[in-house]
Amino acid sequence: MSSKIQLYTLVCLLAVLGIGVTVYKVVCLGFALSPSAREMVWTVEAEISFDADGGPVEVSLNHPDNFKDLVIVDIVDIVDENIGYTYRVVNGSGGTRALWSTENAKGPQKIYLRIKAYRRGSAEGVEPFKRENDEPRPPRLSGAAEMFADTLLAAAKEKQSDPVPMAMELLRLLNDPENNTGASSLLNLKHVLDGPLGVARALLHRAGIESRVVGGIFLGAKGAGTPYRRYLEVRDGPYWVLLDPRTATAINSEAFLLWQLNDESLLEVIGGSNSKVSFSSVENSMLANVAAIDSELGRKSPLVDFSIYTLPVQVQAAFKLLLLIPLGAFVVVVMRSLIGIRTSGTFLPILIALTFLQTTLLPGLALFVLIVSLGLALRSYLSRLNLLLVPRISAVLVFVIIIYLAISVISHKMDSDVGLRVTFFPMIIVAWTIERMSILWEEEGVKEVLIQGSGSLLTASLVYLLLINRLVGHLTYSFPELLLVVLAVILLIGNYTGYRLSELRRFEPLK
Amino acid sequence: MPRLRFITPARLKELGIVGMNMRNVRLISENNPRRLFPLVDDKLKTKVMAEAAGIPVPRLLGVVRVQQQVRELVPFLSGQPDFVIKPANGSGGKGILVITGREGEGFVKSDGMVISRADLHRHTSNILSGLFSLGGRADVAMLEERIIFSDVFDGFSFQGVPDIRVIVYKGYPVMAMARLSTVNSRGKANLHQGAVGTGVDIGTGCALLSIQHGTPLKTHPDTGKRLADLVIPEWADCLALASRCHEMTGLGYLGVDIVLDKHRGPVILELNARPGLAIQMANGTGLMVRLAAIDALDQPHESVAERVAFSQASFRSQ
Repeated sequence: MSSKIQLYTLVCLLAVLGIGVTVYKVVCLGFALSPSAREMVWTVEAEISFDADGGPVEVSLNHPDNFKDLVIVDIVDIVDENIGYTYRVVNGSGGTRALWSTENAKGPQKIYLRIKAYRRGSAEGVEPFKRENDEPRPPRLSGAAEMFADTLLAAAKEKQSDPVPMAMELLRLLNDPENNTGASSLLNLKHVLDGPLGVARALLHRAGIESRVVGGIFLGAKGAGTPYRRYLEVRDGPYWVLLDPRTATAINSEAFLLWQLNDESLLEVIGGSNSKVSFSSVENSMLANVAAIDSELGRKSPLVDFSIYTLPVQVQAAFKLLLLIPLGAFVVVVMRSLIGIRTSGTFLPILIALTFLQTTLLPGLALFVLIVSLGLALRSYLSRLNLLLVPRISAVLVFVIIIYLAISVISHKMDSDVGLRVTFFPMIIVAWTIERMSILWEEEGVKEVLIQGSGSLLTASLVYLLLINRLVGHLTYSFPELLLVVLAVILLIGNYTGYRLSELRRFEPLK
Repeated sequence: MPRLRFITPARLKELGIVGMNMRNVRLISENNPRRLFPLVDDKLKTKVMAEAAGIPVPRLLGVVRVQQQVRELVPFLSGQPDFVIKPANGSGGKGILVITGREGEGFVKSDGMVISRADLHRHTSNILSGLFSLGGRADVAMLEERIIFSDVFDGFSFQGVPDIRVIVYKGYPVMAMARLSTVNSRGKANLHQGAVGTGVDIGTGCALLSIQHGTPLKTHPDTGKRLADLVIPEWADCLALASRCHEMTGLGYLGVDIVLDKHRGPVILELNARPGLAIQMANGTGLMVRLAAIDALDQPHESVAERVAFSQASFRSQ
């Protein structure tokens, strides 16, 4: 009985492996079980414009980063528009930057960078904010500035004590210099303290609130001209809260695409002037799995890296179909071993079903019945001629081609192209089917031919319906590991010693 | 159109019926090693082996192995008015041609039809090109002496070859059935083709139930003879012969087809490593109980006689 234990162990192993990998891909990598699950995807285009001085030019733009739930899927240089510039990506102390360079450029120049980002349902697994430990120290206040700051802090502390509300209160005070001498005095220092945001950071630091400056755009605004702004983030326990320093309110950071952190420079142009960068974004949807595969996280997972998705697209398309064939085999196994349907040839139904994919079901069934009946009629004449086996099958093959031709021509003359699909049927297989059915007819009678013929067509139709099912196609293609589960079930059925459904009918007289 | 009726799996289990899956998984793959299959699938090998073991089989006249030999067929058979041509690798009785005599230049078939020398050549050619063999593989044609049937089956069988199928499990005959040809089966003793299957009591050799096309019947459809009256003579000899085939082939689950020759008595016609399940219906009972009884034996019997005696005592129906 050790073979039985082996079998069950194998079956369990396969099932656990198949289901486990599937669950991992769904939960951790963001694959979707449903074929129609879509993610919102933003295509953002950064347009850099400047006037070149007429010599070598080097332009660099900071790369955007994953921020909270927003995941960067793809960053591409738009080659067509950026002719003449060599593009590369550099990792330096200032983070990852896109770098274009050219030997010679003069006059107004435009360079584009396109990125795709999508929002993931859960923040889990998203890359942590980069260079967390490398925060620049906030500017320090000194002398009179300290005094002004302390009066503002005292006013704010009267009203709020938690970091975020207090930060908002401080920003509100800073935004109102007319009614607040402390604020106006502090803002006078903005040239020293790196702008008004620098003033705000210095103030917050004195209040014991950690803060940083982020620059970026809000996605979702349709069309061109998405404004690039800088914001303030303050730490509240483990979280960072995004504040708009202009309105002194907390803002929803869900659709915020981070492009710049603290003192990172956004755009640097050497050899040009009047440089500026503008952003536009377009919102569209993308299949969830495509997004999951394309994301940084997906690319790093060996499950994705060593998988079907890395193959050339053409090969992927072929596998889309090939991965369905085991399910066809599974249907045949169920029909034969559990139900007890007789088919002519074990895997003939799968081949017919594959043909149906080209012809669609009803025309396919009609054409198949037509070809095989015509073939059988002609074959019955051949059996009177008493030919040797191989020449006879070859003759049947010639018949089959003539039948194909006749059906195609007649159908075409009748202004219908249904008949033309006949060519999708594999000729050699059809010829063998006719030969076998003909022998079956002579030896077991027409009844057996009808039983096996209709059994084959029924099975083929079921396989076809499975093949065209979108959910099934999606599951096998996105989760090829589910084939291990199919294999496990097939192995189990292989060891099934119980009765077939047809035997409950066959042995009925014993009742 | 008869109403579709079903039997419950529980009832089938109670009757001990062996289903197709059980047969394939339990009986065949566990008892019949694959390498032994050619011994029974190739009738020529079976015959050579049986003759060496002293088991009676129809005498081999000759073998046609290549197409060129087909032309020598008629001169070779000039001294043999009646004979049988069959494919060595045929299955289900396919391709068996029985010639009972001559009529001028022609050959008389068992159904009375006369065929020409050309027909005979073509049939032999078809056998060689693999028309009747599994998977269409090239085959050889065997020439055998014709069995002169004992007249026990007179009235019970229409033309053709009535034979007795005995299922032998680990050397014990467990179930038996007479297969009687009909007009419907065109003289063939194959149940698929419409032959009548009549269960035979292992204990006594007397007929039990009868079926045709899976449905019970009482009388032979062509002769009208009451099937329950059939009694197989020399029954213990038949069972002993079947039992000996276990040792000869090494197969644990075996179907032995026996014919009764008028002069020689029981003769093995062919062996089958994948015997069908209809025999259970002709016996009105399942195989499982009997197989279990044999599996439960502490010490299997050594001799054929002991095994037959055990079977006859254990598996009698009355």
